Amino acid sequence: MRNVEVEVRGLTMQFGGVRALDQVDFELGRRELRCLIGPNGAGKSTFFKCLSGLLVPTSGEIRIRGETTTGWLPHRIARLGIGIKTQVPSVMNGLTVRENIWLAARREHTTADANRMAASIAARVLVDDVLNEQVETLAHGKRQLVELAIVLAGKPWLVLLDEPAAGLTAVEVDRMIEVIRDINSEAALIIVEHDMHFVRRIASQVTVFNQGRVLIDADVEEVMSNPDVRDVYLGKQL
Amino acid sequence: MFTRDILWPAVIGLVLMYLLPFVTDAYTLTVLTAYAMLALSLGFIWGFAGILCFGQAAFFGLGAYAFAIASINIGTPWLPFFIAILVPALFAAVFGAVLFYGRLSDVYLAVVTLVMTLILFKFMNSSAGDGYKLGTARLGGYNGIPGFETLTVPWDPSEYLYDTSLYYFAFGLLIVVYICLRLLLRQPFGRALVGIRENELRAELMGYDIRLLKTIAFSIGAGVAGLAGCLYANWAEIVTPALFSLGQSAEIIIWVIVGGAGTLMGPVIGAALLGYTKFLLGQQSVVDNTFILGVILVLAVLLLPNGIFPALASIVRRAMAKLSPGRALGRGRARRSRRLSSQALAIEDASSKSAKSGPDAGRHERRTLPPDQGV
Repeated sequence: MRNVEVEVRGLTMQFGGVRALDQVDFELGRRELRCLIGPNGAGKSTFFKCLSGLLVPTSGEIRIRGETTTGWLPHRIARLGIGIKTQVPSVMNGLTVRENIWLAARREHTTADANRMAASIAARVLVDDVLNEQVETLAHGKRQLVELAIVLAGKPWLVLLDEPAAGLTAVEVDRMIEVIRDINSEAALIIVEHDMHFVRRIASQVTVFNQGRVLIDADVEEVMSNPDVRDVYLGKQL
Repeated sequence: MFTRDILWPAVIGLVLMYLLPFVTDAYTLTVLTAYAMLALSLGFIWGFAGILCFGQAAFFGLGAYAFAIASINIGTPWLPFFIAILVPALFAAVFGAVLFYGRLSDVYLAVVTLVMTLILFKFMNSSAGDGYKLGTARLGGYNGIPGFETLTVPWDPSEYLYDTSLYYFAFGLLIVVYICLRLLLRQPFGRALVGIRENELRAELMGYDIRLLKTIAFSIGAGVAGLAGCLYANWAEIVTPALFSLGQSAEIIIWVIVGGAGTLMGPVIGAALLGYTKFLLGQQSVVDNTFILGVILVLAVLLLPNGIFPALASIVRRAMAKLSPGRALGRGRARRSRRLSSQALAIEDASSKSAKSGPDAGRHERRTLPPDQGV
């Protein structure tokens, strides 16, 4: 029996007449890397927001390491040791890269430790060359990495990444994959991603969402060859 | 601990404290100091915590009334002095908790705080008659409360603090409060506040309880405003409902905008300059007072969008760079070019950026921490 750290049962999210999530069941094991894929409007991001506390589900239950977190506020969920990267980079634009990472580290560590961590984590995700630059002056790819550094500064055991490869150049994607593998050496990851090439490269267990339900939950190669998945992505080359 | 950004304001403050009485009388300077303290309180919560409170006058008025009422009931002035700080701070803690734990967003927060001020204004105005008494103090309705014990010299209760001595006391307090706020902003708490102002969502995802932090900041701001109210009460020797008026609330915001939101020094300068201008304009009857202040606001927003203080600071920096080219030019140039590139970028992604609230929406340079505040 594998070690289940995140367990979701019957998760439903209703927006007026739209049912964005419909009785979703989901499990994530220890140090597992899971990709969530699916067409637009499939409910990936809604699922993500329910997990991170940004949305309160209409019904269903989320258990993270034994705690029922349904209805918790984001900061409480984050304090369990969960790092969240949003779809549009959510960073503190007016502060420097160092200040951004420092703030994330300082919540649980002393000032001296936070100072050290800011430097070492920046080096780890390769943003140490812009440590004292203001974040808003950085290019999109760098900002994505800065946000990752912020996430890592919280020393998470579970990392949620929403479209980490969006808008990145080929070189930056390579770097992102390196960082993701690095994170995976000590934490579990849930990654929402559109880009199938990207998903294939970090090859793992994949959960396919469609119209608010889980279509299939399997190994990446199995998912690729599944005819239902091909139907959902109609016309798209997998 | 006492680095340049603390030491210089303190030294300049002390020098000004002794020089200003040569410019105008201590009586006028005292009320300007009280205004500066009030502006400082809003400059702190708006410029650093991103809370646009339209009702800072409420805490100012509460401080003044708390002092007057406590002073009449107790008979000595020093305990009331601390009550004048505590009452608004506690009121703001409860009121702020309701707002922030209720997740009221910026615009609504501004409106609700404004309404609170107007309710207090209405209430105090209609509190005439014997029915409205707190202990032995009558609230007095429109006429307010006169005749309370004002502050005395701590070691000599027969010697009142008034005119020159009250001015030095007020100005000294202003310097102390300024330094305390600066030190506070350097603490992890202060940095977290700035983080919240920059991006609430990210601060939350980092695990910060933004509701709690904002409530604390709001309460600190109210305490400082209460202190300003107490100084005002000691200066005027009467408190009236006009302290809670709409005009008073609006004026505080204008001081902060003109002086430079996002800084602590800006609001102080804004309040002093505009307060003094208003005082000078009050001595003539050719043009309407509020009209000129309105023009000043419009001009300041158009010509000095960052406020007087940031504009002055950049002029001084440039002058210093010219005077000692070897030492300062490189730094000045680097900073300028960085600022330019930041502006260019800001225009580029202005469309993709979600609407930001706060005093510095769309103004990018102002959002940085001062350079020597870096981690």
